[in-house]
Amino acid sequence: MHSLAKVVSQFAARLSLASLLLAGAGLVAMTVIVAWTVFGRYVLNATPTWGEPVSLFLMLWFILLGGAVGVREMDHMGFDIALFYAKGRTKSALVLINDALVALFGLAMVVYGWQLAAKVWGDRLPMIGISKGWDYVPLIAGGALIALFSLEKLLLLLTGQSRVPMPFVVGGHLGEDRTAQKTTGGAA
Amino acid sequence: MEMAILFGSFSLLLLMGVPVAFCLGLSSLATVLWMGIPPVVVFQQMSTGMNAFAMLAIPFFIYSGDLMIRGGIADRLIQFAASLVGHLRGGLGQVNVLTCTLFGGISGSAVADASAVGGIMIPQMVKRGYAPDYAVNVTANAAIIALLIPPSHNMIIYSLAAGGTISIADLFSAGVIPGLMLCLALMLTAWIVAVRRGYPADVFPGFAAVLRFFIAALPGILLIGIIFGGVRSGIFTATESSCIAVIYALLVTVFVYRELNLRGFIEATLGAVRTTAMVLLVIGAASSFGWLMAFLQVPSATIDLMKSVSDDPFVILLLINMLLLVLGTFMDMAPMIIICTPIFLPLIKAIGMDPVHFGVVLILNAGIGLNTPPVGSVQFVACAIGNVSISESMRTIWPFYGASFAVLLLVTYVPAFSLWLPALFK
Repeated sequence: MHSLAKVVSQFAARLSLASLLLAGAGLVAMTVIVAWTVFGRYVLNATPTWGEPVSLFLMLWFILLGGAVGVREMDHMGFDIALFYAKGRTKSALVLINDALVALFGLAMVVYGWQLAAKVWGDRLPMIGISKGWDYVPLIAGGALIALFSLEKLLLLLTGQSRVPMPFVVGGHLGEDRTAQKTTGGAA
Repeated sequence: MEMAILFGSFSLLLLMGVPVAFCLGLSSLATVLWMGIPPVVVFQQMSTGMNAFAMLAIPFFIYSGDLMIRGGIADRLIQFAASLVGHLRGGLGQVNVLTCTLFGGISGSAVADASAVGGIMIPQMVKRGYAPDYAVNVTANAAIIALLIPPSHNMIIYSLAAGGTISIADLFSAGVIPGLMLCLALMLTAWIVAVRRGYPADVFPGFAAVLRFFIAALPGILLIGIIFGGVRSGIFTATESSCIAVIYALLVTVFVYRELNLRGFIEATLGAVRTTAMVLLVIGAASSFGWLMAFLQVPSATIDLMKSVSDDPFVILLLINMLLLVLGTFMDMAPMIIICTPIFLPLIKAIGMDPVHFGVVLILNAGIGLNTPPVGSVQFVACAIGNVSISESMRTIWPFYGASFAVLLLVTYVPAFSLWLPALFK
């Protein structure tokens, strides 16, 4: 079980890093596309109609990949007073239940996202001409990652390694202490 | 019963420490299962909720703010503010408040404000003999101004939570005067406390120096005009202006200030992913929660409940403010706006309040909540920078709370402070 946790964890670390980089690339791509739309409208006098649907599609991936990475690195907003004050077994039980619930929701995203995609797979998205079902693929992929990352945390907890090993891009600062990142940016 | 399951499971999960996005999703899921509605509805709503073009402005504004911080804009704004108000009593405290206001016009994020301005100002203030608790409290309270001065991505969240029916341009203009009022109130408070504690003042450097620092900071200050002017005049949508802000921030920091390198760019990009993907996921999950609230007629139940307490708009507003302040102590800004808006919006419309006005009140309330334990992200950031414990900061924060509350009451009961400027632009 210990070695299983290790293998899963290494796999999850790579997947998490890849998701983070993809989401970052998505943000850059969205910036370029929206800027191009504005440029097209005012300078070229021809608004590219694909701009908005493509950036919306990229945003779905951005949210779900980034949100999944947040599950692994515990970046999500929450009310963690109970977790902070709980001790010993109570704390482990609480963390265990929380991770299991998040994993459950991730799995539900996969199952129901699949149903939604299957229902509209025959239809086409306007402007970009791909199947409408693609709209739900980020939900499926994000759900799968969320479930995987939560199960990884569960495995580590059960084998007595409660901390998730950090991937080598840490907190948005390549190789620096992640607490430094916590104080820059911030969404509030 | 359905309502009890929705709110009961949400509160329970939240208290257990489940992240808000999943509290919203799981409690919606539990409620539809209980009601016998196909669970697929929850995910359909969630997916729809993540499909609004206006949402894109949130990562873009955070991204441009972060690029500006890394690219040297904060230092120049501080120098400019120091030349302008450094000679007042408690000079560095005044500089701090003014910089937070200017910087709020660039980032719109209170946490970014507290860390960018506080990171430079708090150590300097302590070195110059100001008590750390004063430095921390001035920073943390002044950072809230960023939420009111446009661009404020929290106003975009509010507009989205209201179903996209409220004009973002109106909300942006509505925040300007309350933001400046808060700036003045905090400068006054910082001055009074500084006099009582005997803090020093700097020498006025002369108008030539003010002009020189102004020109150095101008590229950053211009961004405020580009965003506000662009959105207000309708040249750009909010999302487009936020994207222009990213491009502009890149141009300024790379070609004018020459302080942003590739590493800084990558860090800013990944930082924006980390902070904003979570917020957007909360918005997505909240749309299934919001759909259920509407389906269960929670808003009309709230109206009935409030009306049974009082019919007087004055009392209802006071009750709403008190409720929001309590909620704000233990909720983060974005989830609070997303959950409270659909509940309270019909109520305030029923008592004849303008939704734009309510947006300003809600955001100021939630902003004060960022400075109150147990969940006060801005206060925590400022305390961490100043190496001051929360309880130390709490002992001397009261005059600053007083100033914020006074502004909150004025903004709540005098609609003109919020509504005069938007009306002027029409």
